[in-house]
Amino acid sequence: MYTELVLPITVCVIGCETEIESLIGYIFRRLTSLPLAAILARSKMAAPWNSMSNSGPEQKARLPCNPTSFQKKSRSNFISIPGTRPSVQNGQLIVSTGVTSLDYVIGGGLAVGTLLLIEEDKYDSYSRMLVKYFLAEGVVCGHSLFIASARDHPDEVLQELPAPILDDIASPRIEEGQGKLCDPEGQDSMKIAWRYQNLPKVQTALASSSRFGHYYDVSKAMDTEMRQAAKCTSFFLPDELTLSSATGPSQMNEGYRALLRSIQGVIRNQGFDGSTPQKSRNVLRIALPSLGSALWGDDICCTESPGHAASLTTFLYGLRALLRSSLSVAMVTMPAHLIQNRAIMDRVTKLCDTAIALESFRGLEREANPLYKDYHGLLHVKQIPHLNCLVCEVPDTKDLAFKLKRKQFTIERLHLPPDLSDTVSRLSKPDLAESAKLLSSGCGSTAAGKKHLDF
Amino acid sequence: MFIMLLDIMQINEGGGFVIIQDTVDCSGRQLLRGFVNAALKREEVIHVLGFEVCDNEFRAGLDSRCTQRLCFHDGYTDPLGWTDCPPFTVHQFIPQEINTCLRRSEELRGVMLVIDSLSWILRHHSPAVVCQRLQELRRGGAVRSILVLLHSDMHQQGIVGSLCHLATAVILVTPGMSGQHTVAKTTRRTKSGRVTRGEECFSVSEDLTVTIEAQISGSGNTQAEPEQYEPDPAANLTFNLRLSEVEREAKEKLSLPFVFSQEKKSALLRPRPGAGRILYEPDANDDFDQEDPDDDLDV
Repeated sequence: MYTELVLPITVCVIGCETEIESLIGYIFRRLTSLPLAAILARSKMAAPWNSMSNSGPEQKARLPCNPTSFQKKSRSNFISIPGTRPSVQNGQLIVSTGVTSLDYVIGGGLAVGTLLLIEEDKYDSYSRMLVKYFLAEGVVCGHSLFIASARDHPDEVLQELPAPILDDIASPRIEEGQGKLCDPEGQDSMKIAWRYQNLPKVQTALASSSRFGHYYDVSKAMDTEMRQAAKCTSFFLPDELTLSSATGPSQMNEGYRALLRSIQGVIRNQGFDGSTPQKSRNVLRIALPSLGSALWGDDICCTESPGHAASLTTFLYGLRALLRSSLSVAMVTMPAHLIQNRAIMDRVTKLCDTAIALESFRGLEREANPLYKDYHGLLHVKQIPHLNCLVCEVPDTKDLAFKLKRKQFTIERLHLPPDLSDTVSRLSKPDLAESAKLLSSGCGSTAAGKKHLDF
Repeated sequence: MFIMLLDIMQINEGGGFVIIQDTVDCSGRQLLRGFVNAALKREEVIHVLGFEVCDNEFRAGLDSRCTQRLCFHDGYTDPLGWTDCPPFTVHQFIPQEINTCLRRSEELRGVMLVIDSLSWILRHHSPAVVCQRLQELRRGGAVRSILVLLHSDMHQQGIVGSLCHLATAVILVTPGMSGQHTVAKTTRRTKSGRVTRGEECFSVSEDLTVTIEAQISGSGNTQAEPEQYEPDPAANLTFNLRLSEVEREAKEKLSLPFVFSQEKKSALLRPRPGAGRILYEPDANDDFDQEDPDDDLDV
C-alpha cells in the first residue's frame, strides 16, 4: 500500500526580489525533484539572473552592487552553450534570430530543434535581410552555419553579412570618465545638464556573446576575420547536381534529396546529434533562402497542379525530423506569393514550427495608404509552436509593421496616427464611449459599431 | 528627369536579365528591336535565338553598318528538327550548347543574348528547367546580359511570375489610353533589393530609335527634387521676432539663475568619495533609437 502524505508548507521570506526568487528556488529544489530551470522559468526574473551567472567580465562590475550573498550550489541541468538561454515561457533552449524585435514577436527567440518559415515579400528584399541577420548572429555567437542556395553562391551571401555593433570598452569607461577633470571648453560640455557631462554614453550592446541578441549595422559589412572564424558549410545546388540528369520517379525531387542528405551528413559528422563527441556543445544554424522556387527544380511556383506536389512537404518533414534529433535550428524562406495552390502553402505552414509572412510596400504605387508611410511593410505572424506546453505566447496585437533602419530592424504595432485634418468629424459622446470600448478590447474583436440600444 | 526605359536600354551591366512582356493587344517586338539597335550602336556583340520571325524580318530597319555584330541563330525555319539538318532547334536550348555557339564568336567582353521569344521555349520545356538554364547562362562566362521577349497571355500566371522573379528588370508593354502610343511599365530591381518603378509612353520609329513621348508617372529619384522653398515664419508679422546683433550678444551674455560658475562646476564634477554611481545596462526592452521621434511630426 502506498500512502501519500501531503504537508502544506508555508514559507515566509522577507527580503528583496532577487533574494526571494533564489531562495524559493533553492527550497523547492531540495523538497521536490523538479529541475531548477523549470521552476525558475516560471518567474520573470529568470533571464537576467541566468545571464549574470554566464557572463564573466560583467561579474566584476556587478559584485559591488550584488545585494545578496546567496550562491547557487546546484549543478545546472541544462547545457550552457554560448548564444543560447532557456526560455522564460517554457524552459526550452532558445537562440536569437538576430533581430531582437522578431525574437520578442515569436515568443523570446527561436527554440533549438525547430524550424522558422518566412514567407518572402514580393521582391525578396527584406526576407533576404532576415537571413543575413540570422547568419550574422550565428557568427557573433560562435555557432556553426549551413547555407544552401540555388540562386546566388552562398559565399556571396556570406560576404554581405552586416557588421555587429560591439563595444568592448563599456566597463572601463566608467572609471575613466569619473577620473579625469571635466574640460569646460570641450565639445561635450553641456550648459544645463552639466552634472551628467562625464558619464559615459549609453551603449547599445556590450561585449559579444554575453548578451542575448545583438544589433547590426546594415551599411557596413562584417570583418573578414570574424566571418572566417565561423565554421560554415555551403551547398550550392548547381554544383551538387548535374542539370542534364533526368529525375527518376520518387517522392522528393533530386535537389531536395541532395540537400537533405547533405544536412544529415553535416549533423552526423560534426556531432550535433550527439553521435560523435564534440569537445564543446554547439548549435548548427541552417539557412535555406528561397526554397521552393523554380531554381530548385520544383514546379509548385509555376502551375496550380504541379507534378510533384508532395516534394517540398516531404523534404520539410525530413528536415524537421533531423532538427528535432539534433542541436540545430533552421530558417527557411519561401516565395509564397508565387505558389499557386493555397493548399500546398497551408501544408507547408503546418509542417514548420514558427511561420511569419512579410508584405512589403516597396514597389507599390504612390496611392498607398498614408497610414503606411512610416513603415516598410507589414509582418503577419501565421503560426507559433506549442513546445511542451498547452498554450503558447501570442503577441497581443495582430497588426505589426516593420521598418528596416540602419542599425535596427524594428517591428512595431501599427497604430493610427492622429488625424490632424480639419475635415475630421467630431463624434458625439455616446459614439465616443462605444468606440473607446471597442478599441480597448483589441483589433479584430466584435467591431460591429452598434449604437447603444434602447429598449 | 529620369527615364527608366532609356536607362535600362543604356545600361549593360553584367548579369542583367531583362524581360519584355507583351500581350496580343500590343506587340513588344518593336521595342525589342529598338533595344537591339541601341546595343549595336554601343558596339556590343549580339546573338539572337529567333523562333518567331525570320532573319530578314528581324534585321529590317537595323543600322546596316553594325549588323555584322549581330548573329542570328535561325530557329524559325525548323524549330523542332523535322528535317535532316536544322539550323537551330528548341531542344538545343541547353547551356553547354549555347555556350559553345557563343564562344565561336571570340568576343572577350561577353555577349548579349536575345531570345525571341521565350514563350516558344516554354512550350517545349518545363518552366523549372527553363529557369535553371537561364540562371546557368547568366552565371557562365560567355553571356553578359540576356534580353527576352515573353508573351504573358500565353502562359499561366505562375510561370510568368517565376520568370519575373529571376529578372532584374521587367517591362510590360500595353496599349495606351489614347490608342496612339504604347505604354511601358517598368519595374527594376537592384541586387541590394531596391525596387524602382516607372511608366512611360513611347514610340519606336522606322529606324528603330525609341523616343519617349510622355512620362506618366515617374518613380524617379526622390533625391533629385529641388529643395522646397520654405517661407520664413518670422516675416510679414505685425510684431518683431528677429534679433539684431547687439541683442543676440546680450542674450548670450545673460547668466541664467541657478547656473554655477565654471570653478564650482568642475569642483562638483570631480569624483568624491561616497558619491553614488549610475550603473545602467540596457536590457531587451530598451530599444535604443538614435533617430529623433519628433522628426515625424507633421504639425
